[in-house]
Amino acid sequence: MMKLKTNSYVVIIVLFLLGAVMPLVLRRYNLFMLTEIIIFALYAVSYNLLLGYAGLLSFGHAMFFGLGAFVAAVSIIHIPGLTLVSAVIISLVITTIAGFLIGGLLLRHKGAYFALLTMAFNALFYAVATKWHSVTGGDDGLSISRPELDLGLASLSVSSVSSFYYLILIVVGASIVFCWYFTHTAMGKTVLLMRENEERMKFLGYNTNISRLILFTFTGAVAGLAGAFYTLHFQFVSISAISIDMTTAVLLMVFVGGTRTFWGPILGAFVYIIFQNYLSDITDRWPLFMGLIFVFMVLYVPGGLSQTIVSMRQWFSGRTGTHGNGPAQTEET
Amino acid sequence: MNEIAVFFLHGLAYAGLLFLVSAGLTLVFGMMNVLNFAHAAMYMLGAYFSYSIMLRMSGQIWVSLIVCPILLFIIGALIERFLLRKVHANGHVAELLLTFGLAYIITELVKWYWGNYPLAVNVSGFLNGTVQMMGITYPIYRIFIFLSAIFVGLVMAFILYKTRLGIILRAAVNDSETVNTLGVNVPLVFMGVFAFGAALSGFAGVIAGPLLSTFPGMAHDILLDAFVVIVVGGFGSLGGAVVASLLIGELQSFGVLLFPKLSIALMYMLMAAVLIIKPSGLFGEEQ
Repeated sequence: MMKLKTNSYVVIIVLFLLGAVMPLVLRRYNLFMLTEIIIFALYAVSYNLLLGYAGLLSFGHAMFFGLGAFVAAVSIIHIPGLTLVSAVIISLVITTIAGFLIGGLLLRHKGAYFALLTMAFNALFYAVATKWHSVTGGDDGLSISRPELDLGLASLSVSSVSSFYYLILIVVGASIVFCWYFTHTAMGKTVLLMRENEERMKFLGYNTNISRLILFTFTGAVAGLAGAFYTLHFQFVSISAISIDMTTAVLLMVFVGGTRTFWGPILGAFVYIIFQNYLSDITDRWPLFMGLIFVFMVLYVPGGLSQTIVSMRQWFSGRTGTHGNGPAQTEET
Repeated sequence: MNEIAVFFLHGLAYAGLLFLVSAGLTLVFGMMNVLNFAHAAMYMLGAYFSYSIMLRMSGQIWVSLIVCPILLFIIGALIERFLLRKVHANGHVAELLLTFGLAYIITELVKWYWGNYPLAVNVSGFLNGTVQMMGITYPIYRIFIFLSAIFVGLVMAFILYKTRLGIILRAAVNDSETVNTLGVNVPLVFMGVFAFGAALSGFAGVIAGPLLSTFPGMAHDILLDAFVVIVVGGFGSLGGAVVASLLIGELQSFGVLLFPKLSIALMYMLMAAVLIIKPSGLFGEEQ
C-alpha cells in the first residue's frame, strides 16, 4: 500500500479541511443539505463498488440502506439509553448478515437475472416494512430523537445542525476513505480483475464466487451504515427509505457521476441532491426530469460527469483540479 | 364451498392478466435478452388509451382491443429503432437503464395528461353482465380475461412453434450472426419482437382497465408481480409463464382469503423457495 500516490492523501486532507470550515461559511439550511450529501455520497460509493468495480447491476441496493435505517430507528426506540455508536453498530451487524444471506442466494445469477432478482428482494423488504406496522410504523414511519454521542470519557450532544455535521464529516467521510482504501487492497484488486476476466482469475486459482460474496456483503454493510446515519440525520425514517425509489436514486447518482472513477458517485450525489432540492421546489414533475436525464445520460454521456471531466482535463493537459465533495480521488479504474 | 369457487375464479382472472403482461416481458427477454422495465409503463399507457377511447365509444371495448395494441406496436418499434438499438453496443447495463428511464418518463407523462387519480373504466354490452354457474353468480368480464389470455397464449405458441417466422425467431435467439448471414434481417426481427411485446402489453392494459380501473400506480403494481412470474416460471419460457401465472394468481387470491396479513409476502416466499430449490425457475433452462 506504500505505492498509493501521496497526493491522494493530500487531496483527502484538503477536502476534510475544506469540509471543516463549511459550518462557518454556509447557512444552516445549506449545511443540513451538505450533511445529507455526505451521507448519500457514502451510499453511492457503496453502490459503485458493486456496479463500477464488480460490474454487478443491482436494483435492490435500497434494501440494505433501508434495513440499516430501520434497524437504527427501531433499536433506538426499543432499547432505552442506547448510545449513538451502539445503534450504528447494531445496524452494521444486521445489514452485514443480511448482505451475506441475500448475496449467497442471489449471486448464483448474473446480468439481467441478477438485476431482476435484487429488485424482487427489494420489493419483498418493502412489502414487509409496509405490512409490519407494529415495528416499522408502516406508512407513518418512525420518529426518533437522536441519542447523545458517548465517547467513554465524555458525552457530546450532537443535536445541533453543525455538531452533527462534524460527526458526519468525520465518521462518514472516514468510511468513504475506507472504501477508497478497500479498492486498493488485494481484495479490491481481485474484484476489478474479476470483472475484466473472470475465467482467467479462476484458472489462476481464485475462488471468484467467494470474492463476489465478500464484496456484496461489504457493500451491503456500507449501504446499511449510510442508512443508519440517514435515520440519525433526519431523526425520522419512512418506508420510502427502503423503496425501489431509493434504489433508483442511488442508481441515478452513480450514473450521473460516472461509474469509471471512485469519486464519480460522490460528485453524482452532490449534483443529485442539489438538483432534486431545486427541482422539487419549482416543479412537481421531478420524476419526469429524472427519467429524461437518465435517457439522455445513457444515450450521450455513458461515462457520466466524471468521465467528461477526465476527458476535459486531458484536453487541457496540465490543468488539475478537484471536483465534488468529500474525500475524493481521481484514479484510473 | 361457493366462496372457494369464487376465489378460485378470481385467481384465474388475475392469472390471465398476469400471463398477458408477463408473456410480452418474457418474450422480449428470451429473444433479445433485454429486461424491459418500461413494459409495465407501456401496459399502463395501453390502459389509459383504452380509457379515452372507451369514453368516446360508450364503453365498447372491441375498438380499444384493436387500436391500443397497434398504437403500442408503433411506440415500441420507435423505442427500439431510435433508442434501444443505439445503446445496444454499450452493453446490458445501458439497455436496462434506458428502459428504466423510459418507464419514469411514460409514467410521468400519463400523470400529466390524465391526472394523478384513478379513472374507472366501464365496459358495456354483454361483458358487463354476470353468469350463473355452479350455483354462483360471476361477472362475465373476469371469465373474458381468462379466455383472452388463453387465446393470446395459443396464438403465441402457434407463431413460435408452427410458422416459419417462429423458426427464424428461435434461431435468432441462439445465433443471431448465422441467421443474419443466411439473409434474414435480424435487426428488423428484433424490432418486430420488441414492438410485438409492446403491443402485448397494450392489449393487457386494455384488458386490465375495467378490472382494476386505471391509475398511475398500476404499472408499478403489476411490474413486480410479472417479474416474480418470470423468475418462478423460468426466464424466457412461455410455458413457465403460463404455470407461474396460474400459481401466483391463485396464491394472491387465496392468500387474501387465508392469510390477509401475509398476502403480499407469500408471493416473494414462493419466489425465494423456487430460487433455493431450482435457481433457473420451474421451466427455465440451466444457465
